[in-house]
Amino acid sequence: MIATWSYKERDSFIQRLDPRTRLVGVVLLSLAAVFLWDVRLLLIPFVVAVCQLGLAKLTWRELRRFWIFAGALFFFLTALTLLTGRGGVGVITTEHVFWRGQFGPLVVEMSEARLVFALSQLVRIFTMAALAVVLPFTINPAVYGVAFRRLGLPDSISFALDLAVRFVPTLARDFSLTLEAQRARGYELERAGGIIKAIRHTAPLIIPITIGAILKSEDVIDAMNLHAFGSKQRTWSQELRYQFRDYAVLALCLVIFVGSLTIAISGHGGLWVP
Amino acid sequence: MQQQNRWVRPLLFVLGIVVISIIFMFIANFIAQARGASTFDTTKWMPFLLVGAVIAYGLGVAFGDPALWSVETRQVVYAAVGAALYGVFSWATNIFLVPSVSLVTVRPAIVIPVFFGFVYGPSVGFLTGFVGNALGDALTGWGVFPVWDFGNGLIGLIPGLVLAFRNRTRASDIALGLVAVVAILASVWLLVGSDVVSPLSGATVDKWVALTLIGGLLIIAGLRYGLRNRPEIASAQVWGGLAVFLGIGFASMADIWWNGYNFTTAFVGEFVPAAGTDLLNVAILLPILLTAWNAAQARTGR
Repeated sequence: MIATWSYKERDSFIQRLDPRTRLVGVVLLSLAAVFLWDVRLLLIPFVVAVCQLGLAKLTWRELRRFWIFAGALFFFLTALTLLTGRGGVGVITTEHVFWRGQFGPLVVEMSEARLVFALSQLVRIFTMAALAVVLPFTINPAVYGVAFRRLGLPDSISFALDLAVRFVPTLARDFSLTLEAQRARGYELERAGGIIKAIRHTAPLIIPITIGAILKSEDVIDAMNLHAFGSKQRTWSQELRYQFRDYAVLALCLVIFVGSLTIAISGHGGLWVP
Repeated sequence: MQQQNRWVRPLLFVLGIVVISIIFMFIANFIAQARGASTFDTTKWMPFLLVGAVIAYGLGVAFGDPALWSVETRQVVYAAVGAALYGVFSWATNIFLVPSVSLVTVRPAIVIPVFFGFVYGPSVGFLTGFVGNALGDALTGWGVFPVWDFGNGLIGLIPGLVLAFRNRTRASDIALGLVAVVAILASVWLLVGSDVVSPLSGATVDKWVALTLIGGLLIIAGLRYGLRNRPEIASAQVWGGLAVFLGIGFASMADIWWNGYNFTTAFVGEFVPAAGTDLLNVAILLPILLTAWNAAQARTGR
């Protein structure tokens, strides 16, 4: 079993952008969606998110797991909110109940406001999820460290990020080695009884890998200390430079963010009921 | 720089928080007025602000020591190893170990941020939880969920606060005392006082919240005194449990604002399944991991 990053080289506009542009842009657009509840206004960040998805040239196979799992969960939670009352905090101010039903102890009320709320909620959630899901597929794991360093994080944290990404393939290999070694000793992961037994059953895998990784990391610490890690500012071998397209994308995201913030502060971004 | 008094150190920080909160309240008031809502009342929020300031000051006094939060070479490497472990284990369980219908999975891996926080401190714990959750989701192909990454970060950070206390027994006692104060005050307020209206949902808070708090208090007391001879395990269980409760609680409650769920959905759909299974995982795996780690440490002498 090999851990593979979902990133690969794709000749796409999105991947030619600077990773910092991508991260900042996604944060700005997600916040723009959070401020709004009017479904007509939400369509703006939603369309940008869909454009990003299209420009990233991802295939259905790559995103299948996201659409099935995340999609099902979002529909379930939105439906649960719709059936159990008003969602959000103070989003629905007035409503006109046109249908009321009782299922056992649960009273279900329907109003136009709640239906529109559920629609806006789905658009919001899918906008934010679709904006973010593209990132791991299109940002090279090797540039996370330098990207966050250039975004202003301290060297130590950025280096920890970089190291974590580098440790993943090794630890995933340790995982499959340990799994096979334990299987050779008669360990059967799949045959677990109840939930408590199932959890206890993971101990022969989790414990040796964790302890082994901690003991090995002592060598990494020694090596880093011998290289005087943290004694002064680090330099990073990769350089990041903004191009014209980065400024253009950042400007677009900033305009949407500021627009959304202004609309929210002026009190026009609330729920829109036709 | 001269070592500051621990009682003075947090004052500036708390003052900053209060000023920023007041500015935000004015902005919120402005928005509420623009929307024509009359429900937003600054005086109603003042008591919450004051209580918040007192809590922030208390946290600053207890955990404000810069040494507790320092990130040196050791912390960098342990955070990276922890995050990678958490990412790989979550990915492995997501893919083939314990399939589950929802994104909220049975993940034995949750023990990793709790363990790294408890043993190596709050910074390591936070990075392990935050980065590890993001790595696990990225490996699985599930997308990025910042609110949940932060919640997982808290699950690592909170057990790390134990290192601020003189020893493990004292850490358990402090947790017991804190929960006891909160549980007793809240119970008295809920059971004796008039109806309490939650500022979050606008609904009346159910009386059974008091029972839940007292139940939690009994569990912590049971662990503290039942595991008297194993103080390390007792405090790991107590602080690990608190961490799961607060971390998952933060993430699911933040989803009310972030995704627009109502309280029922956030509680039944997210908090209960996630916190329930995580508590079980931590309760079972953390003692085994700690015992194994102590043995390994004794053997290698590091």
